[in-house]
This record gives sequence, C-alpha cells and structure tokens, in this order.
Amino acid sequence: MSEQEKLQEFEARIARGEKIEPGDWMPEEYRKQLIRMISQHAHSEIVGMLPEGAWITRAPTLRRKITLLAKVQDEGGHGQYLYHAAETLGATRAEMIDALLTGKAKYASVFNYPSLTWADMGMIGWLVDGAAIMNQTMLAHCSYGPYSRAMVRICTEETFHKKQGMEQVIKYARGTPPQKAMVQDALNRWWWPVLMMFGPHDSNSPNSAQLIRWGVKTKTNDELRQEFINKTAPDLQLLGLKIPDPALHYDEASDNWISGEIDWDEFWRVVKGDGPCNKERLAARRDAHENGAWVREALNAYAERFEGEG
Amino acid sequence: MPNNSLANKILSVADDSFILGHRNSEWAGHAPILEEDIAFANIALDELGHAQLWYELYQELTGAEPDRVIFFRSAAEWRNTQLVELPKGDWAFSMTRQFLFDVYENVSLERLVHSTNPRVQEIATKIRTEEIYHLRHTSNWVKRLGLGTDESHARMQRALDELWTYALQLFVPLENERELIAENVVPDLGILRDAWQEKTVTHLSASGLQIPENIDSVPNLRAEHTEHLAELLQDLQQVARSEKFGVEW
Amino acid sequence: MDSQWQIYQVFEKERADLPHRNAGSVHASDAEMALENARDVFVRRPNCLSLWVVPERAIFSKTVEELQDNAWRTEMQNTSAEESYLVFQKQGQTARETFVVHVGDVAANSPQQALERALETFDDKNVFVWWIVPERAIIKNEASDAPSMFEPAHWKKYRNHLSYPVEPIMRELKSAQEMLEE
Ligand SMILES: [Fe+2]
Ligand SMILES: [Fe+2]
Ligand SMILES: [Fe+2]
Repeated sequence: MSEQEKLQEFEARIARGEKIEPGDWMPEEYRKQLIRMISQHAHSEIVGMLPEGAWITRAPTLRRKITLLAKVQDEGGHGQYLYHAAETLGATRAEMIDALLTGKAKYASVFNYPSLTWADMGMIGWLVDGAAIMNQTMLAHCSYGPYSRAMVRICTEETFHKKQGMEQVIKYARGTPPQKAMVQDALNRWWWPVLMMFGPHDSNSPNSAQLIRWGVKTKTNDELRQEFINKTAPDLQLLGLKIPDPALHYDEASDNWISGEIDWDEFWRVVKGDGPCNKERLAARRDAHENGAWVREALNAYAERFEGEG
Repeated sequence: MPNNSLANKILSVADDSFILGHRNSEWAGHAPILEEDIAFANIALDELGHAQLWYELYQELTGAEPDRVIFFRSAAEWRNTQLVELPKGDWAFSMTRQFLFDVYENVSLERLVHSTNPRVQEIATKIRTEEIYHLRHTSNWVKRLGLGTDESHARMQRALDELWTYALQLFVPLENERELIAENVVPDLGILRDAWQEKTVTHLSASGLQIPENIDSVPNLRAEHTEHLAELLQDLQQVARSEKFGVEW
Repeated sequence: MDSQWQIYQVFEKERADLPHRNAGSVHASDAEMALENARDVFVRRPNCLSLWVVPERAIFSKTVEELQDNAWRTEMQNTSAEESYLVFQKQGQTARETFVVHVGDVAANSPQQALERALETFDDKNVFVWWIVPERAIIKNEASDAPSMFEPAHWKKYRNHLSYPVEPIMRELKSAQEMLEE
C-alpha cells in the first residue's frame, strides 16, 4: 500500500467510527498532534494540583478538607492516566516531564493564576472543572483508543469535582457578607481565565480543522466555549452573582449568551510563560522532581539488588 | 467518671490521626513520583477519615462538634503527640514517621476490635482494614529506602534517630487511663509498647537500620507541644476563624 | 534521563461476572510496588474485586491491522517449553466495549504460537486487538489481601457526586425566580 492509500484507509476507519490502537498505522502528524495534546493535558492535570493543593491545609471544615484532598489527588490520577495514553504513542514519561520542567511543553494557562482566597476553591471546582468536563466529554469519543479510554475514566470521576465547587459557591453566595464578597471576588478573577481555557478563536486555531477531520475533536473551541457560557452564566446570575463582563447578554434569536471579547493579549502572554504564577508553578514541580530523585534512584537500586526475591 | 476518661482517650487518638493526616496532605502535588503522590494522599485521606470517626464518638460522649474541636482550639488544648506535629521533612522523614505510627495503630487496633465498648469496637474494626494496608505499604517503603542507596539509607537512619524518642510518647498513658484498661475498653499501653517495639525493631533491622540507643527524655504531657503545632494551627484555622463558629462553609 | 521506573499494565475485575480488563498502567520499581500502586491509582472508587499487574515488556500484542502482515508468524521460536498464556481481546468500539479484556487461556511454547492458537480457539469476529501474556509474568493480589485493598473504597462517599446535592437547590431558585417574573 502506498502512503496515500494508507492515509485513505486510515481516514475511512475513522469515518466508520473505529478507534485507532497502538500498533495501527497512523499519519505521523496524527501521532505528533496527539502526543502534543495528551501530554499538555497531562501536564495541566499535574500543575492543576497546585493552586488547589495550597488550600488543603486551610480548608475551613473537616468535610471540605477531605473533599479537597480527594479532588487534588484525583487530578494526579488524571495526569497519570493521560501520561499512560501518551506513552502508548511512543513518548516516555521522563521525556514529557523534562519538557514540562524545561518550559518546552505547555499546559492549561488557567493554572497560572493565583488562588487567593478560600472561595477560589468553590469557583475553581465549578468553573474550571466544569469547563474541563465539557472538553473531556467530547474527548471520550476521540478516535485514538487509549486517549478515549482515559477520558471515559476521567469523566466519571470529574462529576464530584464540579459539584463540590458548586455547593460551595451556592453556600457563600447566600452566606454572610464577607462570604458573599469573597465569592464575588473569586468570580471576578476566574471568569475570564476560564473562558480562555477553551483556547483561541476557531479562526486562530490552525490545528482545529484537521483534528476534527481525524476524529480527535468533534467540536471547535468556540462551540465548546459557547456551550459553557450558556450552561453557566444563568446559574451564576440566579445566585445573585455578577459576571464581570458588561457586554454579556442573552440573544433570543440564537438562544445564546453572548460574551464580550476575551483579552487575547493576556491569553498569549500567559500561554507564553508570562502569567502571574508561571514561574512559581514550574518551580514547585521542579522542586518535587529534584527532591524526589534520590527516592526514585533508591527504589531502582533496591530492585536491582533483590530482583526476584519479592 | 469513666466517661470522661474515655472522652479524653478518644480525643487523643483523634488528634493524633488528624494532625498526621494534615501533615501528610502537604505532600499532595509534591511527592517523588506520581503514583506515590496518589498513594500517600490515600493514606492522608484515611487518617483524616479515622479522625472523623473518633471525633464523632467524642461528640457522642461530650457534645462537642468535630469542627469546633478542630478549628476553635488553641495549641495547649490539643492532645496529639509531638511526633505527628513535626514538619513533614524529607520523604524519608515522612515515610519513617508514617511507618512508626502505622505499627502503633496496628498493634493497638488488633486489641481495640475486642474493646468492651461497642462503639470503640465498631470504629476500630472499620479502621483496621485500612491500617493493614497502610502498614504493608509503609513497611515496603522503609525496606526499600533502608536498603536502597547509601543516600537513602543515610536519610532513613537520620529520620529514625530523630523520630524514635518522639514515637515513644505514643505509649505514655493519660491520666485515669488505668480505669479504661481495667474495664477492657482500651489495651494496656505497656503491652502495646512491647508489641510495637518487637515489630518495629524486627523490620527496621531487616531494613538495614539501627535502632537508636540514646533515648532523650520522652515528652510526657499531651498538652505540651513544640512550636510547630502553633504554626500548623494558624494555617489550619485561619479560614474557619474568619467567621464565628456556626457559619456554614 | 531521569528514571520513572518500569511500566506495568494493570488489569482490574469490576464485577464477579465480568472478566479482568486493562485499566491503564502504573510505573513501579518492582512487582510488589506495582500491585500497590495499581491499587492506589485505580481503586480510589468502589469497583474492584481483583487486580493483576504485568510488566509491559511481557505482553505480546497485535492489532487486527498488524495481523494482516504475516511476518509475526515467521518470528516464531519454539525453543522454550510449553506454558500457559492468557489471551486478551478488545471486542468493540463503543465506550463500554473499547477496553482490552481477558477471554481465556492457551498452552503454547512461544507468544507467537499462543497467538496462533488463540486465533483458532477464540471467536475473532469483532476483535480489534489481541494481547498475549505468559501466565508466569502476571502478578495477582492474594485473595486474603482483598479486603484491605478493595473494601475501603466503598466508604469514601466523598468521591461520589451524590454527596453534593446541588440540583434541588438550583431548581428551587429557578422556580422562585420564574414565579417572580410572572
Ligand atoms: Fe481532572
Ligand atoms: Fe477535576
Ligand atoms: Fe495509618
């Protein structure tokens, strides 16, 4: 078979709804794009542990503390499943981590914003995880088997992440004046970074069309963003919270909530490493990695010495 | 007042579990490898869960709500050992501490499942299932780090030297604890100490580690704490105390 | 480059009437730690009765597309003694079926021969992936360890979204608002 025929057969398989499995022929570009996407996604889960992880020790009730720790732990699990999916394409975890720590790999820019108050735990759970769920539900249908399987598992785990956040926002929005102020302030700071999570406009997203054709994605950035706004904006307003977008309005004709324009300069600045916490986040990951080197080495040494002895 | 001595005992057990779970939760997102980040968070979650069960029993005995006990007590009112309040240190320190504590929990729970108090028995039975796994996991870690590289061995030995005396505080009886022992509500700490010593010494030696011989004076009052507890509490309680107790979070 | 340990594939059994299926993989320095890591990574939720781990290098796998090329048959070396191999298949494309599951065992003296026998023995309609694993490479949890490994997940109600009932509150708020608007 010529490369051209292989490509045709590959695209026909995807059109029939088949999943591509490790070992199957795939265009080099498909492999490359998937490694890029999946490893970015994995890094996002891991770096995403940090802004919330910082508040585990300060959670105001025992129940919230346990929930938050379980959620942060789950995000680690998601990163673990995703690194696994990328490994099936020939990337190694060591290489991927190296790319993250040296600043070569990207991750979701939303995690480069600081978590400043406890109410951020509610807002992150509802909005950040809520946005992630929309993206992940789509990716569960992805044409690459291991990625879609990781997503099936992740999606079932995510539901509580969002709901525990929502539960907090509901409570604080109807709570004491300081709680109300705190949760409004959290919304003010997180709303725009969350909308940016869906990525640039379709017109500025060069890979989008091909990823859709190859069944990796089934919806565009703008479609997902619109779905998210439609789903979230009315609920936030119902709670008496004010969304920090004077241009936001409901459009009867399209049945959509139309938002104002995202500050794309800020978006690119943060993506390129110049957000409020980029350095801090990478430094935390680098510390964990370097401080753990002797531990990983020790277990290798033990395994070599006692191979087969159990 | 046997009920009062039981409440004091339960509070000390709950406080130990809680503070240790709190300390271990600081590793979330910072552990040496992803799999162990998840595994150690499981142990932290379990310890917090055990604390919750004991605080609930404490509430049944005294009426004090768990969140008030946790978030509105000052350092002198806490009844945990100094062992669990020490900062998390390096991976060897946290792992050794968890191992020493897990052995204590296991020898204690083996007996608490036969407590004459039905609630103690019930809680101990549930907790024990998890603690069996903790001990398996931390024992395996201690062995691997103890026998791994020169560096891991040195770090483990240093951790053990520092922690050993602190661990002995787990076996200092509370005031009136004898009443509870007489009624077979809780086991005799002297017996626990012997069982603990035997298990830890056997495993630590098999892991290439030396048991410290010079034992400093063991802290003996659970009301006395290191400066680390005050620091820990400031962090732990700051959000809860930004409002009156009773405001929902 | 830094070591992230070895890769072990993980198989979990979710219900008594379901076979073991591939859940993902874990990195671990040795077999015992692999089993423990599998428990901690994949049994955070109450859906596991049994766990197996297998060093990734011990797995011989072929997709149906790869099978079209017969080269693997000539790689066959029948030098070792006959032993038992476990056969796994991926049997469908929907989210539910897309996992690689255990379908049975064959005896053979090489992974290639085991695959050949598996192709004869097991139904290959709607099979998309075959995995062949020598039984001696599989590390299984001891039955006596099952309670401490798998029961605790049942108590972690905080991982269940039903512990956070937000819908009734939102519905109530919505109907209150609608009444106001009328
Ligand atoms: Fe996640
Ligand atoms: Fe999440
Ligand atoms: Fe424990």
